[in-house]
This record gives sequence, structure tokens and C-alpha cells, in this order.
Amino acid sequence: MNTKKIVKTIFMTEILQGMALTLKSLFSPAVTRQYPKEKRQPFPGFRGQHAFVRDAKTGKEKCIACGLCGAVCPSKCIYIYTKEDEETRKKTIDRYEIELLRCVYCAFCVEACPVGAIALTENYEYSDYSREALYMTKEKLLDNWDRFMAGPKGDEYFEKFWTPKQQSFRAHDDQAVFRPKGSNGAARPEADTRPEGVK
Amino acid sequence: MGEIEKETPGANGDGKNLSTQELTLSMGPQHPATHGVLRLVLELDGETVTKCTPYVGYLHRGVEKLGENRTYLSALPLSDRLDYISSMANNVGYVNAVEKLFGIEAPERAKYIRTIMAEMTRISSHIIWVATHALDIGAMTVFLYSFREREWLLDLFEMTCGARLTVSYPRIGGVRNDVSQQFLDSLYEFTEEFPRRISEYETLIDQNRIWLKRTKGIGVISAKEAMNWGLTGATLRGSGVNYDVRKAFPYDAYDKVEFDVPLGTEGDVYDRYRCRMEELRQSNRIIRQCIEQLPKGPILAPEASKFVLPPKENLFKNMEPLIHHFVLLTKGPLTAPEGEIYCGSEVPKGELGFYIVSDGTGKPYRMRVRAPSFVHASVLPRLCEGGLVADVIANIGTIDIVLGECDR
Repeated sequence: MNTKKIVKTIFMTEILQGMALTLKSLFSPAVTRQYPKEKRQPFPGFRGQHAFVRDAKTGKEKCIACGLCGAVCPSKCIYIYTKEDEETRKKTIDRYEIELLRCVYCAFCVEACPVGAIALTENYEYSDYSREALYMTKEKLLDNWDRFMAGPKGDEYFEKFWTPKQQSFRAHDDQAVFRPKGSNGAARPEADTRPEGVK
Repeated sequence: MGEIEKETPGANGDGKNLSTQELTLSMGPQHPATHGVLRLVLELDGETVTKCTPYVGYLHRGVEKLGENRTYLSALPLSDRLDYISSMANNVGYVNAVEKLFGIEAPERAKYIRTIMAEMTRISSHIIWVATHALDIGAMTVFLYSFREREWLLDLFEMTCGARLTVSYPRIGGVRNDVSQQFLDSLYEFTEEFPRRISEYETLIDQNRIWLKRTKGIGVISAKEAMNWGLTGATLRGSGVNYDVRKAFPYDAYDKVEFDVPLGTEGDVYDRYRCRMEELRQSNRIIRQCIEQLPKGPILAPEASKFVLPPKENLFKNMEPLIHHFVLLTKGPLTAPEGEIYCGSEVPKGELGFYIVSDGTGKPYRMRVRAPSFVHASVLPRLCEGGLVADVIANIGTIDIVLGECDR
């Protein structure tokens, strides 16, 4: 056993180093969030509770009752009942139900919808004591749109997250590539690039 | 933990002729250190484990059978739920298998994005592993520190695809949506910061004498034996076997980046720990290179229009895309070739393989999942028997199993 090792063993240097690190952390700002008091804003396109898009022109839902959302749903949690509209002779939805407790929030229904009639909102606080509250009907889904997605937010959602778009199949100028720090004019913004809430 | 005594101890009143007997101990499925719902039935002779029998299946959801009833696209979220802390890597493994079956290839940019995502998953999974492993053995601080870095990665996942854990991000023939500039900048900053954080974890446990006592020489398995047991991933490489799917059968962008495969020598708990810590550094290196090399280009294969959903703009312009859209979503790709395919990928736990048999319909005829956690759970008796009961926890931690994947 050489001297260095003896000194290390006696003075417990490795444990002291660890303790120095924890002592340092004691004075660094906290990384945790006091959740119910401090709420976290999800990123745009967050896959939360569903909403039915309310058409600004008609004030009704956009759904054309094609049933693709129900067909693609991996957990088979969308139930669609259709009827024929007596005036226009068009197929419309009679009942549209989503069982939130079975949903896996994959957003395949959004991707499948040919008309952009369903969206996932940024609402993640919908826990409840009863199953009825987590059984979404057409009215509840439309209400969700008014509460969480109405206005520019909804437009942005379909602009960005209703994929695939034509530009997914080709290269375009807006695509993000690596920007070295301080490279000819295209320097990274000095502002912290970390997502909000991460220290 | 429940204790089952075989018979009452043979105390004869005077304390003489005390008989000793083996004790059967049922550990789990609700034990905090079994990483989920693993149940071990241990037969103990004093402190020594004489027999160890793992019981699995408490989390069985029938993923393989469910896959047979879903189209290739709809089966993707099932792979999220195999190893739920590294869902992105499972997704990538699944879409790679399906693409191999269909004979299509994702575009260059999509491959790089997938590689970035898979390596981010590896970091977040290994971070959880070192956190819980250290917590099981008794070092709590690492647990708290590592969740700090994991949060950053999960936020980045959320920024890209809208979900933190069950991401369902890649698509057959590409990825769901493009990465943003904020994502790349933030991730690059992460890669600059992260090596310092790895050193922090190592300061806490790497040379700590208690950690060394609990890990060195525990759960030793030789290279030959490890191969015979079918171990993969860092559990195999800890014994010094140089096998990594990323090197042996490169997929995505792994052949375009430089990285080393860390190997252990002794094959004990400590060496496997060292391997995973080094893999964190290598993953960090891969992400950096991928960001630097990331080309512009399509993110979905334009030539694979029979398997990829058509662009939304075209749906009501032409009849053909609309028909494709409806058929792909309701029946799956009807032009899927017949045949069978095995495609392995290196997920954080080991080699995750998808063996898909196609009968030409839009749904897999059979989808077999080669789950590394299941194979690794089978080696537990070999590691635990003959050791002390306290080392059972270290052994469960070191093989890095997730029961969602084990039971499928």
C-alpha cells in the first residue's frame, strides 16, 4: 500500500469530495417546482386532453363523420355514431364519444383526420373521481376547444402539428441545422436556450 | 415481503439441539427495489441464497397479440409501452423493423433525427438506471441529481413531439415532425453541460468505499457464460464481450458517427456500472456529431407513398392521395410484401429485436418481441445463488431490467 492510498483511506478523501459537492448544491437554486402552486406551461403541440374544432364560420364541429379517427385509434377508445342530416342529406355525427381512461394520447386521431376536426389541447389537469367526467361527449369536446384552443393557438396547432405536410417530403430553407456559436452573423441567441423551468 | 416458515423451529426448551432450516422468502412483486413487479422466491440458508426463482408476468398485457390486431402504424404505440423509460429507442427499433420488411428507407435527415432521439433516450434511461441502482445500494444523492438532467431531456422530447414519456415519434418512412432550431440549440447546450454532470455522479459514488464494497466482485459472470445466457447490451459488455448492435449491424446514422464501445474486464456489478457511465459519455458524443452533421432534407420518404400518409394539402385535391389515406389508416398498407424479418436494435437495456411475419395484409401476422429485460431476468438465479441476500438487490439493479418489457 503506497502512501497516497493510505492518506486517502485515513482521511476519506473520496467521501469528503462527495460531501463537498452536496454542500455546494445546498447553495445552488432549487430545481424543483411546487406543482399545484406553480403551474408548468406545456410546449406548443403538447398532447393533452382532446378538443373538437369549432368551425368559426358555422359555429359547429368540423367533423364529417368519416370514422378514420376511430379506425386508427390504437386503443379503440373513440366511438362514433352517425346519422343522415335531414335537411342537407349529409352524413353527420349523432354521438361522438372518447373514453379518456383508455386513450394513450398518441395523437393518431389528429393525424388521421382529413379535415382537421380534432385536436389535442395543452390541458393536462383533468383528473376526476368519477368515470363519467372522463367520458367525453361532443359537447364537452367542443367546450374544450373554446376553453383551450380558440383563437390563434388553434391555427398554430394545425399549422405545425397536423402532419404530414408537403414540406415534410422535401428539403426547405426553414429547416433547423447546427449553428456554431458566433458563426458569421447567425450567432445563437444569448438568451438561455434551455426549456423553461429547467435549471 | 412475506416470510413463510416451513415448520416451527425445533427449540427443545433448553436451547440445545437447535435445528437450522432453510427459509423461503418471497421478495416482491411489491418490493421497491425490484424495479417494477418482479417477484423473486429466495431460499435462504442464513444470509446465503441457495436458490433464487424469478416469477415474471405480473405486467403482461399481450403486446405481441395486440400487435396482430393492429395495422403497422397503429401498433407503434405498443412499442412505447415495452420499456416505458426508453420509449423512443423502442419506437426506432420498431419502425426500422417495419421499414426493413417493406423494403423502404427513411431519408437521411430522418435517420439523423432518429439517432439523436435514440441516444437521448439512452442517456435518460442510463441516468434513471444509475439513480435507482445507487438508491437501491444506499446512495440517495445520485438519485436526486440525475433526475435534474433527465428533466431537461424530457422537456426536449416534449418540445419535439408533445409527449414526455410515451412519445410515438418516429413514423414508418421517417419521423412525425421536424426538429426546431430551439431544440437543436438546447440539445447542443446539453451536450456541452452533460459531461460535467457525469463527473458529478462519479464524484459521489465512483470511488466511494461503500459503493466499491457493495459492487466489486459481486455478481461475477464470465464472458463465455454471459454469451451463453444470451445477455446483450451493457450487461454483456461488462464481461468484456465486444458486441454492440450499433457497431455490428449499423442502422440509422450510426455508421456515420464515431463512438467507442466501452468494455469491462471482470464482469462484476462495478464493471457494468463503469460501462454504462462510459456509454453516457459516448451517447453524448454521438448526439454532438449528429447535430453537427444534421443535413437539410425531407423527413418522410417521398418515394414510399404506398406506406407513408400523403401530405394533408393533397387530400382534397386529388382522389388518389385520399384513397391512400383512407386505406392506410383503416386497413394498413395492403401492398406490404409477404415474408418475415428480424431486426435488432441497441436500446439502452440491450438488443431489442422485432420479428415480424407478414402475410401480405395490412397487419402483422405475428409480431414477436425479443425483449432484453426478459433474457436478463433469466440470469438472476445464476448471479444470486451462492451470494448474500443483500447482494440480490445489487444484482437486480445491475442487469437493468424493466418489467414492462420483460412481461410484454
